[in-house]
Amino acid sequence: MFILLSPSNIFHWIEKLISFINSIFFILLLIALSFALIFSPPDYLQGDSVRIMYVHVPSAWIGLASFTCIAFLSIANFIFKTKNLIIITKSIAPLGLMFTCLAIVTGSLWGQPTWGTWWAWDARLTSMIILALFYVGYILSHKFILHEDRANKISSMIVIIGLINIPIIKFSVDWWNTLHQPASIKLTGTSTIHSSMLMPLLLMFFVMLVYCALIFLMKYKTEIIRMKKKNLKRL
Amino acid sequence: MIQNFLSMNGYGLFVWASFLITLISCAIVFHKTQKTLKKYEREFAKEINELSAEKRKSVVENSKIASQILSSQSKTI
Repeated sequence: MFILLSPSNIFHWIEKLISFINSIFFILLLIALSFALIFSPPDYLQGDSVRIMYVHVPSAWIGLASFTCIAFLSIANFIFKTKNLIIITKSIAPLGLMFTCLAIVTGSLWGQPTWGTWWAWDARLTSMIILALFYVGYILSHKFILHEDRANKISSMIVIIGLINIPIIKFSVDWWNTLHQPASIKLTGTSTIHSSMLMPLLLMFFVMLVYCALIFLMKYKTEIIRMKKKNLKRL
Repeated sequence: MIQNFLSMNGYGLFVWASFLITLISCAIVFHKTQKTLKKYEREFAKEINELSAEKRKSVVENSKIASQILSSQSKTI
């Protein structure tokens, strides 16, 4: 499977996928933004400030999912020692950091009108800041440790330790008394969000996932070329 | 109506700031990623072209990636 998914085998498809996503992305974005800003109703309690949810929640989901993905791929790399996995994790990390920061900033912008404060050191918010720090640690270890194997080991250790933080973020609203509301969308059990708001939320999430796929593919391609460039110098 | 849409019943500043920050961040990351990719493609193609004819031939024959980058670069030129 690793041979089938090797960079040289999928490089051609990466280029095709990048141009395909580029061609449809703006239409998807316009549709999602129309639903989020115009067609979805205001909340009976929070009014129009609830629209911040359409950028805040998908950003937080992507931040969490990216980190979990990086951690599991790093564990897989410890077992299988595949360079391709390192390239993939390195390509995902900047995206994860950006969306984690966006979740924090948009959460702060949502907090001011609803809680009356930009920031509170409660469990959910603090654990999200810690997640951002783990991302920074991961990215900096790749940037500043010149010995490649050592950088891979240290960055993998950082994300594997950081994996402990993921369930803390998820369950922080249940374990502690926090300003942050509990989850409205549950994979198991009934969600407490109305379909008129769930649909735009899922649409925005889909568009952000498409954006992530685009940036991931471009970064992955850059990493492959960087690797090939290094090999070329050895000739 | 447009006034109402922009003010979002008093929450306009927070809502528009959230969407603008998200969109601008995404646009900056897209632009930077694309710029870096193009730069690496250009440099890689240039380095291959600077090789001796024999070495260039063996690189292009042995690496699918190298041949694809070279062909895409020649299209852009």
